[in-house]
Amino acid sequence: MEKVQGTIFDIQRFALHDGPGIRTTVFLKGCPLRCLWCHNPESQAFEPQLSFDKTKCANCFRCVAACPAGAHKIVDGKHAVDYGKCCLNAKCIEACPNRALKIIGRKQSVQEVMDVVVRDIAYYNNSGGGMTISGGEPMSQFRFTLELLKAAKDQGIHTCLDTSGYAPRELFEKVVPYTDLFLYDYKATDDNEHLRLTGVSNRLILDNLDFLYEKGARIILRCPLVKGINDTDEHLKGIAEIGRKYPNLAGIELMAYHNMGYDKYERIGRKPEMEMLPTTDEATKRSWLERLKAFGCDKAMIG
Amino acid sequence: MAIGKLTRELHFTEVYKKYKDEHIAIREAMCLKAQFPGFLGGIKDNDLFVGRLDLPAVGITPDEWGPTSFGYYCIEHRLLAEIEDPSLDEDYRQAVKDMLEFWREENTSTKLRRAFPEKMAKELYTDDWMNQSGISFPLYRLCGGYINFDKLMQIGIPGLYDEVERYRQNAERDGRDVKFYEGAKIALDVFVDTCLYFSNMALEMAETAKTKERAEELKLMGNTLKKITQEKPAHLWEAIQLMWLYSLVADVRNLGRMDVYLGDFYVNDLKSGVLTEDQALRYLESLWQLIADRNTRVHGRVIIGGKGRRNEENADKFALLAMEATRRVLEVEPQLSLRFYEGMNPALFEKALDVIGEGRTYPILYNDDVNIKAVEEAFGFCTEVAEQYVPFGCGEYIIDHQSFGTPSGVINLLKALEVTMHNGIDPMTGRKMGLALGRFEDFETFDDLFEAYKKQVEYFVEIMADHEELEYKIAGETAPFLYMSMLYDDCLERGKGMFSGGVRYLGGTLETYGNTNTADSLTAIKKLVYDEKVISKDRLLAALDADFEGYEDIRQLLLDAPKYGNDDDTADEMLLKVHNHVCNVVRNQKHRTNLHSYLVVIINNSANALMGHQASASADGRKSGLYMNNGNAPMSGMDKNGITAMLNSIVKPSTHIHAGAVQNMKFSREMFTTRRAELEALLKTYFQKGGAQAMITVVNRNDLERAMEEPEKYHHIFVRVGGFSARFVELGRDVQLDILHRTLY
Repeated sequence: MEKVQGTIFDIQRFALHDGPGIRTTVFLKGCPLRCLWCHNPESQAFEPQLSFDKTKCANCFRCVAACPAGAHKIVDGKHAVDYGKCCLNAKCIEACPNRALKIIGRKQSVQEVMDVVVRDIAYYNNSGGGMTISGGEPMSQFRFTLELLKAAKDQGIHTCLDTSGYAPRELFEKVVPYTDLFLYDYKATDDNEHLRLTGVSNRLILDNLDFLYEKGARIILRCPLVKGINDTDEHLKGIAEIGRKYPNLAGIELMAYHNMGYDKYERIGRKPEMEMLPTTDEATKRSWLERLKAFGCDKAMIG
Repeated sequence: MAIGKLTRELHFTEVYKKYKDEHIAIREAMCLKAQFPGFLGGIKDNDLFVGRLDLPAVGITPDEWGPTSFGYYCIEHRLLAEIEDPSLDEDYRQAVKDMLEFWREENTSTKLRRAFPEKMAKELYTDDWMNQSGISFPLYRLCGGYINFDKLMQIGIPGLYDEVERYRQNAERDGRDVKFYEGAKIALDVFVDTCLYFSNMALEMAETAKTKERAEELKLMGNTLKKITQEKPAHLWEAIQLMWLYSLVADVRNLGRMDVYLGDFYVNDLKSGVLTEDQALRYLESLWQLIADRNTRVHGRVIIGGKGRRNEENADKFALLAMEATRRVLEVEPQLSLRFYEGMNPALFEKALDVIGEGRTYPILYNDDVNIKAVEEAFGFCTEVAEQYVPFGCGEYIIDHQSFGTPSGVINLLKALEVTMHNGIDPMTGRKMGLALGRFEDFETFDDLFEAYKKQVEYFVEIMADHEELEYKIAGETAPFLYMSMLYDDCLERGKGMFSGGVRYLGGTLETYGNTNTADSLTAIKKLVYDEKVISKDRLLAALDADFEGYEDIRQLLLDAPKYGNDDDTADEMLLKVHNHVCNVVRNQKHRTNLHSYLVVIINNSANALMGHQASASADGRKSGLYMNNGNAPMSGMDKNGITAMLNSIVKPSTHIHAGAVQNMKFSREMFTTRRAELEALLKTYFQKGGAQAMITVVNRNDLERAMEEPEKYHHIFVRVGGFSARFVELGRDVQLDILHRTLY
């Protein structure tokens, strides 16, 4: 177990939105999907990467002098980054007086992560909380995820796996015994739509859902909804249909789009996959719930 | 006698002069007679109880009326305003001038300062701790006494007369000094006269009252005031009136375990039908308003809940009423404080969270399951005594009406480190200060530096302990503080005033500041200068002396070093080293002095900001003049790992070696509204892990920023500063910034 390392981009303590109670959420880097609305674009690439926040940059060019790879340049008197050249040696980060630069993602062993997770066991126990592995797509770092789940269960910690469902079935089969709750994404009902919005087909995802459900896994279905993008009648009907098909789902949560991740694209040198939309207003959220009710689903909640 | 605004003070001064060489008990009694009822304010429109203060410019108090105004005090600027006003009568101005000259020599703080031995006088070179730079400062006050209100309620004024007389007779029989009792009897006469004076006032006002209801209220007030001079209180309103007026004449600013001493009155009155819950709440709201208008700023404590209550069931009922009053009366006092323990009626804690969640900052939460053991250990008391602990003022613990422990000194640990690193020179002023223990460059190991810092602190702690002892000695020679002593164990039995050998346990406390900044600075120095050697000593000193101008890279390295409050073992262990050192050194002073105990208190008024002004840039990356950390908290904004990490850190320092530490937490309102279950679990876990105390500010996200821009619209926002609460918009800008930069969870 000691030797398995994961690439992690954040560990968040006192997380309240990734499963029940007080939790520690471990965010793994790397995802096979490319959802248009992704608010964690820095979680998509599997390897650590440079992030540059130009609003904090004083154009002092200390980074330019420090970088041996030529990733930092001066263009029109301003600091510009050539992300492809970054060699991740972090010299620029030490040089930057304003913390405009950072490297997202670090390699950590299961033990190192557990050292953090166990510190809040008492809070988990008093709140019905535990550890959540999120991402990125945790199943893409399967060995690490499995070992981390096992290590948590060894300590009696409740585990959640926040997944897109996009991974081979046999891998899901292996994590089931160590996962108390799946937070399972459902993003589009029509397969072509799914491909368009996320870059992958939903067939494997739906098969895995069926498999996990039949195995008796505890599952909360999480449905990211973006007004005007995937909140179609067809998809809402699809959600209601899944609720009927799997009556013992532990919950259906609607994850309303927010635009707080929008700036992050620029920081890692990427263009957003879609234009910035307004953060979902309360009326829209209410209307989703009402429409779902009309389609026969009264189980859904805003997550 | 010349007539003017200060005529009453002139009279007081004449009386003092007349009895100057009399026994101190008689002198004080006659002075009290000159002070009351004259220096109590009138009855305001909505008051249901009598008791407002009209602060004398010259008078006697155990507490303080501003820096250096304690004991027999004189508030100079008020006298000077009269002296310098040419429109006033010449004879009058001359009389005030003579009075000023007289008190400059005769006031208690002058006597105390003149008694400083040489070393103390040199190191405590100024009393102006708010504006001058220094490691330690004396405070002139005997504050935080908790008298035996429960006894007063149970025996009343007649009973107190009887006790005084009984002990007087015993003393006379044994051939002991009886002057203390004679003085006490005069003081009680003064109290009775005061009651009757206001009784008449209320009854007269009743005759011209605008409404019938108000006339009835005033009549009841008048009759109550008369009755409490003749009988012990029988009803809630009588008990409140007696307690409140007595607390004013005694100038006792913290109001004890109120649920214990008022709980039976409340429940019995409800049972017998003479009072409804609504009426009781009205009484309490009126009392709360009077407490607020007294404006002690850092006192006004009302304690409810906890172990060691003789009438727990009734007390609980009163406690719930008290919290409801706090929910309704939107003021910064009283500082309602809830003691709780595993097994206590859960309705109290639930109600507490409701009130806190509304942004009231009250009640402050005290965990008996930690504190009782801590008090046993720190003070050396048995459990039964420790169960009667009460936090006063900003959060210092004493034992209800048994022990006393004024915080009459402050030490700025960060300044001690700064001076040590500059070989006995204060870089802020260039002044020689404390011990010169060698140049920073010459401390070869981190331990060398740390040892030097420790020596510096120890040097000042000894001075401060000596100062505390001296303050008590001078106070004891000056006055018995009769009203307080009559209800403080064991003054009546011994026939002695509080500080003349009367009080059962006479201890003291020392306020420490900058604890976290000091530890974080040491962590950074150890890591970057000594272990990793990435910053040289001279570069570090140069960077600090330049306030990091031109040394931004060094500042970043320092800021990136581990910080207390993140559940980081490296940073937290350094905090423990600093904490254990100063707490134990202070605690050991009881072996050097006659103090029953001398303990650190890690509290805060605005001193973290004021003393921060005088502290240069520090090795934790803090800029020169910036506020320091608050109480036992991380430096504002330096806790970045979430609240569980912060709480895990702050439960690490031992509670068993000091007399109280404050834990400020700032939550968003949504935590209380949409995440109540998790919030309760969070607090429960914190307390189970050894959390002693919590003072919780609840604000909406962004409200504080908006309040700084448009203060007129945000009068309703209450925040916990440190050991006291305030309307955010009324705070100084630097204190506002400190609170703004605290992490909001």
